[in-house]
Amino acid sequence: MVPVSYSVRNLMVRRTTTAATALGIGLVVFVFASVLMLGAGLQRAMGRSGSADVAIVLRAGSDAESSSGIELPAAGLVTASPEVRVRPDGRSDAVGEVVGVLALDRAGGEGMSNVQVRGVPDDVYRFRPSVHVVAGRAAAPGSDEVVVGAAIRGRFRGVDLGQSFEIKKNRRVRVVGVIEDRGSSFESEVWGDIDTVRAAFGREALVSSVRVGLRSAGQLDAFKRAIETNPQLGLTVKRESVYYEELAQGTTTFLTILGLMIAFFFSAGAMIGAMITMHASVAQRSREIGTLRALGFSRRSILASFLFESVVLSLAGGVVGALASLAMGLVRFNIVNFATWSEVVFTFVPTPSIVVSSLLFAALMGLLGGFFPAVRAARMNVLDALRA
Amino acid sequence: MSSPEESAAAPMVELTNVTKTFHRGAETLTVLDGLSLSIAEGSFEALMGPSGSGKSTLLNLVAGLDRATSGGVRVAGQDLTAMTDGDLAAFRARYIGFIFQSYNLMPVLTALENVELPLLLTKLPSADRKRRAATALRVVGLEDRADHYPRQLSGGQEQRVAIARALVNDPKIIVADEPTGDLDRKSADQILALLEKLNKDFKKTVVMVTHDPEAASHARVTHHLNKGAFQ
Ligand SMILES: Nc1ncnc2c1ncn2[C@@H]1O[C@H](COP(=O)(O)OP(=O)(O)OP(=O)(O)O)[C@@H](O)[C@H]1O
Ligand SMILES: [Mg+2]
Repeated sequence: MVPVSYSVRNLMVRRTTTAATALGIGLVVFVFASVLMLGAGLQRAMGRSGSADVAIVLRAGSDAESSSGIELPAAGLVTASPEVRVRPDGRSDAVGEVVGVLALDRAGGEGMSNVQVRGVPDDVYRFRPSVHVVAGRAAAPGSDEVVVGAAIRGRFRGVDLGQSFEIKKNRRVRVVGVIEDRGSSFESEVWGDIDTVRAAFGREALVSSVRVGLRSAGQLDAFKRAIETNPQLGLTVKRESVYYEELAQGTTTFLTILGLMIAFFFSAGAMIGAMITMHASVAQRSREIGTLRALGFSRRSILASFLFESVVLSLAGGVVGALASLAMGLVRFNIVNFATWSEVVFTFVPTPSIVVSSLLFAALMGLLGGFFPAVRAARMNVLDALRA
Repeated sequence: MSSPEESAAAPMVELTNVTKTFHRGAETLTVLDGLSLSIAEGSFEALMGPSGSGKSTLLNLVAGLDRATSGGVRVAGQDLTAMTDGDLAAFRARYIGFIFQSYNLMPVLTALENVELPLLLTKLPSADRKRRAATALRVVGLEDRADHYPRQLSGGQEQRVAIARALVNDPKIIVADEPTGDLDRKSADQILALLEKLNKDFKKTVVMVTHDPEAASHARVTHHLNKGAFQ
């Protein structure tokens, strides 16, 4: 084999060309990694809200809370199931909520956007201990007070501490607190008293969903079977984490495909860059190639050497691009979740697998871009190469 | 790869009725015209002749870099006419040491690494390769330049590194195409002395193309080529 140091040092000797080509690759990897981080951020914003040992019950045929409705007696039957955890106070560890979507004016005055409103019972914070009031206080039960998620605070007119907005024509609610929940989609919601929200959205005698804490995550199948096989209920059961993943799926897939398409078009440019660089390198070094062949190196080892050089070149760019993309972790973004048509705020989330796949993508660009130049080097006639 | 023909009695190089033609469009150019040549093992032979007479073409056939259009080519007991490209590469790696007019060292590799290159085609472990490369550099008197890059060496020193590279694999034959063509008299004499040393002390068969009668005088036999035939 042609030594590795031969390839690496040739790249270092052509410092400027190498840097320029690597930068082009780095740019593409930056876009690629950012898109994947976007997908991961969205997945987290949506999926974070779910836990494995919680089941969500919806009307059969609904795939989102906002389009589901369950009569109160049925909801009572659900929470009384034997698979449901019982709290020390003897009540079932469950929560029935009403969910609606509200169009609000953006704070900057540029049009409107949807926000998800959740009517919650008094003991909601017992059911969701990860949700914390980080400013102000919790809403008083049975009042016109609401708390808002940290991610949408200040982004809509009236949606900030001490302000108020209309939840329905002529029905104002006052913001008394701000909640956070590890970046989950609850941070993009408005939470009010269940009766207030019920009245505002005309959902009397209904809840949109029931969530129950299972005695263990393994109880889901038994619970699901018991509920879904009861024809009087007409309900469907999902593991909460799965429910949120499914909600995010469409948007994540759309974003990822869009981003990957952009990255793909950019990558064509970067690969052509790598190809031109490697072609020039092959032409410049044809006498060296001829010499190596004369010494007895095979066509295959020449091919491998130049492919390797191209991959190293691209990986160098890939490392730069991946590092730069990590800086995107500081950027916040809001986007409409197409499943609920409400706005979700999220961040770019770097994961080890994104870093790995970005580097693999860089290596792939190097392989493809370096392929024709390497083949050309390998196919050279020894004597022609020596004479050059 | 040892075969009965590889005995001392058989010549190291045996060309029989070799022709080499090139095609330029419709025109056919006969560069070697029914040429025969026999070189004994351990000999030092020079090829001379005017420019374009076919010296390099002939040397390339002996070195397994090119194929004869017709005729027999046997080198180091091997029939080169029957070989594939891959066989020829393996043949060159094993039997041939190359010395080029313009040295052809890899600019990004040090003197020692350049000398080590042919050993990368063997199964020798790294430490043995380094040791052999260092020994070869000592033979050409450049052990103190092992870590120098070609651009840090004079032309004569570069050619000595190239000789170490040609020697390191312990080939049967050294082929040199105008090895002193780019050098001044003093450096040229050093190179010629080294080639004689390879021939006498290391028992290498040496085939050298040259324009320089002084260089040819170091050879045991000088062949004069003119228009593709010996005079
Ligand atoms: N690949 C080729 N295609 C066409 N013609 C060629 C090719 N290689 C060599 N020739 C021709 O063959 C002839 C002999 O070339 P060769 O290189 O063997 O000469 P030479 O004796 O080594 O000359 P010099 O002393 O100038 O190196 C020349 O006329 C040359 O143009
Ligand atoms: Mg010549």
